[in-house]
Amino acid sequence: MKTTGMSREIEQHRFFDQGITATGLARSFGSVKAVENIDFHAEPGRVTALIGPNGSGKTTLLLMLASLLRPDAGTIRVNGLDPLAEPRAVRSMLGWMPDTLGFWEALTSREILTTVAALYGIDKARAKVRANELLDVVGLGELADTPARVLSRGQAQRLSMARALINDPAVLLLDEPASGLDPGARVQLRTMVRGLADSGKTVVISSHVLVELDEMADAAVFLSKGKTVRSQSLAEAGAQDRRYTIASLDLAALRAGLESNNLQASYLGNLENRGGSAKLKLPGENRAAQLLGALVGAGIPITAFAPSSGLLEETYLSLEDEMP
Amino acid sequence: MSISTPPRTAVPASKLGYLSGIGTVFGLEIRQRVRNRGWYIMLGIWFVVVAAVVGLAALSVGLEEVGPGQMMFELVIAFVLFFGMLIAPALSANSITGDRANGTLAILQNTLLTPGQLLWGKWLASWAASLGFLVVTIPLIGWAMTYGDVYLPAAPVLVGMLAVELGIVCALGVGISALANRTLFAVMVTYLLVALLGLGTLIAYGLSMQLVKVEVQVSEQVWPEEYQSGEFYGTWDEENYTCGTRLYPEQSFATERITWLLAANPFVVVADAVPQAPAPADEQMFNAAGPMGAISEGVRYSQAGPKSQIPCLNGVKSVDPPQAQNPGPLWPLGLGIQLLLAAGILVAGRNKLKTPAGKLASGTRIA
Ligand SMILES: Nc1ncnc2c1ncn2[C@@H]1O[C@H](COP(=O)(O)OP(=O)(O)OP(=O)(O)O)[C@@H](O)[C@H]1O
Ligand SMILES: [Mg+2]
Repeated sequence: MKTTGMSREIEQHRFFDQGITATGLARSFGSVKAVENIDFHAEPGRVTALIGPNGSGKTTLLLMLASLLRPDAGTIRVNGLDPLAEPRAVRSMLGWMPDTLGFWEALTSREILTTVAALYGIDKARAKVRANELLDVVGLGELADTPARVLSRGQAQRLSMARALINDPAVLLLDEPASGLDPGARVQLRTMVRGLADSGKTVVISSHVLVELDEMADAAVFLSKGKTVRSQSLAEAGAQDRRYTIASLDLAALRAGLESNNLQASYLGNLENRGGSAKLKLPGENRAAQLLGALVGAGIPITAFAPSSGLLEETYLSLEDEMP
Repeated sequence: MSISTPPRTAVPASKLGYLSGIGTVFGLEIRQRVRNRGWYIMLGIWFVVVAAVVGLAALSVGLEEVGPGQMMFELVIAFVLFFGMLIAPALSANSITGDRANGTLAILQNTLLTPGQLLWGKWLASWAASLGFLVVTIPLIGWAMTYGDVYLPAAPVLVGMLAVELGIVCALGVGISALANRTLFAVMVTYLLVALLGLGTLIAYGLSMQLVKVEVQVSEQVWPEEYQSGEFYGTWDEENYTCGTRLYPEQSFATERITWLLAANPFVVVADAVPQAPAPADEQMFNAAGPMGAISEGVRYSQAGPKSQIPCLNGVKSVDPPQAQNPGPLWPLGLGIQLLLAAGILVAGRNKLKTPAGKLASGTRIA
């Protein structure tokens, strides 16, 4: 009976340790402080977006999480394991897609995948099946046997994604996976990332395309100058103040409608007709829905009523406003 | 990306065997090299050049009484060794810097591969590639063998030591490649190290001559009467002299004290390790036919010191050949120095490849 008690304890322990937790991370390169103080948490089964301007330390953070770079300070736990102490154990359950696309150019896509699989200790037969599957998943089936040298940027990006998935990782770190992809491939990437997260994997994704993250991320961590400036879930983001653009065929009527609702807005009239648009801030989606109903109910000819920017973009821009 | 669900093949948590990791890196490297057309072109040019030199040797040496086989064989070995010293750094010193520049090193490091496995695999692959240059000369070695005068016990040792030397240069190259950030720099440093071994040892030896200048007591060589007379038509026997009794001082060099400086020279290591052909019955025949034999003999004379340079030292007739006072082989020392150097550099390189990486060289990124 003792043993079951023990194992349950361990299980619980493991359960709470799932995902990625990093606290107080710092890393500098010479005099450049790439990462100064980052707290980061990513839960299993969720897509965590990593957002920040160029040079804010996203890639550096991912390198530390991927057990390639040693932090100067702070601790990291990946599914309960410390990448500093047990790098190989961490790597066996980790998939990392770098933002640089490097491949052995003389090898074919299939060979690249089977080679990397072999380096994870996956036996030949299974590696072959796995490589075929992944090549199909990323849509490189037809190019499987051409040298990687001739792949286009977007194709290389897909190959890189397949490579990151070769060991069926429980934790997936994606550094700007969408750059270079065509719109169709972006949609597929999105579904794929969602699918991976829904199957219980921890997914961390850094990207600049915030609108896209809106649709696949569950939570977001904002970095600026090497520091975590905000961590929020998308639900929280939805509840915050948001800018809306309202267009109408009759600007004067719109203005009257908004003023009767006690709302401040900036107005822009069309030159050729009486129509125009108004921009204003609204506290949360409920208020927005209520306002739209009121405006339409008052007989104002509304042609568009939409957020001016994505959820995450909103946070991003508000953070930029706060920055000195 | 046409399927929206992730693939479902269960991939169990796995372990990477040490040898299988090395094997995978080796295969990866070799596949890349084999698919490189430049490598074949280099091999082709190489074969033509060596064949031309060996052919010329066959023509010119064949004119004399001595069979050209030994000469040709040793020429091939000397050639492969000399040019191997030039080619091996180029083949090995880009192996890790190249991956670094390509962004593929981090991908390798992010797998279960250890730095040790990576270095072993890269080294074996570059060694195999440089042995390719030895392999294409096999027809030429075969040609030399057809003359029948190649001293057979020496042949496998020559080829084996040659392969070992190429392996050492490759190890230097791979180790430096792990330490350096730019391929050009790595290749240059490897060349400098090879030059240090090949030429530096010679220069050090030459310069230290002054330090071992000694004054020795010598006496006159006395030749038989008939040699002095005008009408001597017999064969002149260089050994047929006695030493006079009156001693006088002369400058000489105690080269036996500095011969060790030559030990780490790759040519010396190869030549010295080779068993010597027994002195030929025909006194006239020069027993060191080829360049390797000449080097080996030179080293033995140097090891013997003034005894071999002066015919009548202290009124005692010198013994020739000097192997008579066997000073012991030099090559184990040389090989030891080379192995230590290579091992030291490889260990340093291994530390540099360890991840999570601590200090990065300035101006480099992992990815
Ligand atoms: N190896 C390095 N040596 C010196 N400075 C570095 C190194 N790596 C990163 N940096 C610096 O650290 C800062 C953060 O870099 P990082 O690559 O993490 O940014 P990022 O958030 O990924 O940017 P981007 O959005 O452009 O990809 C930058 O100012 C960069 O110049
Ligand atoms: Mg980056």
